[in-house]
Amino acid sequence: MKTIPLILVTTFATAFVSEAKPLSYVGGTMVMQENDETGHTLSLDYTFTPTEAFGIYIKQEENGKDIFMFTPEINTLLKRWNLPDGQGNIFNMSGAGVATYRGNNQPSLWTAFLADYESRRWFLSYEPRFVWNGDIEKSVSQRARIGIAPYLANYNDLNAWIMFQVDHHPAKHDHFVATPLIRLFYKTYLFEIGYSSNQHIMLNWQIQF
Amino acid sequence: MNKKLITLIIAFGLTTIVSAETIHTTVNGMVCAFCATGIEKTFRKQPEVESVKVDLPSKQVTIKTRPGKTLSDAKIKEVVTYSGYTMGKIVREK
Repeated sequence: MKTIPLILVTTFATAFVSEAKPLSYVGGTMVMQENDETGHTLSLDYTFTPTEAFGIYIKQEENGKDIFMFTPEINTLLKRWNLPDGQGNIFNMSGAGVATYRGNNQPSLWTAFLADYESRRWFLSYEPRFVWNGDIEKSVSQRARIGIAPYLANYNDLNAWIMFQVDHHPAKHDHFVATPLIRLFYKTYLFEIGYSSNQHIMLNWQIQF
Repeated sequence: MNKKLITLIIAFGLTTIVSAETIHTTVNGMVCAFCATGIEKTFRKQPEVESVKVDLPSKQVTIKTRPGKTLSDAKIKEVVTYSGYTMGKIVREK
């Protein structure tokens, strides 16, 4: 039964990861798709311990070299602070696989750290990312987000967030990009839509099942 | 007279044995529906659990057990910790 949504998701998500948490609950499968000014990313992960998820990461980069990356990935919760009114986390996401640019296949290695803090009202995150695609590209980029919930939703309500994201990626044509966005989620279904300062629509989604 | 008393004692005893328990526990770090879903699903997997209700404003999870079943404090802590969170206080009611 669980295979049906999995097939549907992977069928429609042909090329498109989100600033949402890279880990689900133990035994949960998570599909994340990000479609923004940096390109299109798809990741599919299975959480097998409270602190580790394993999956695949596919990215078609744009706004620079059109590099295609395909790597298995492992997401690790390095540290969590469970506070009375909030939660803080540090995650590491890393992958090793293949990168392709104009027929040139190269080994691909990447790693990223995600630090976030979330209360029912506020959201803050920072993510530095390091990519080595053989002789195709070596890059360092960073992303930060701040968000506020206009109302405090309960478990069975639609949750809404107004967010602002800033990207710094020196390897791209536009080094600094700002993206105001709206995040909506209901239980384990998350959707984000935004519009970047370099005039690209952001469409991200995440499903856990 | 004795017969009625014995019947009452047996009935009371049976009620106690088969009654379900409602357990409230606060969970630190449970701030969003994404977090709560993991906790809810992990509790639902426990054979002793009949239903689970999450209330985000009070950070409280309410667990109703099956008749005659209970969940120990240690088990509740294990589930909450396994889900990645920290357990607060536990309140039980029959």
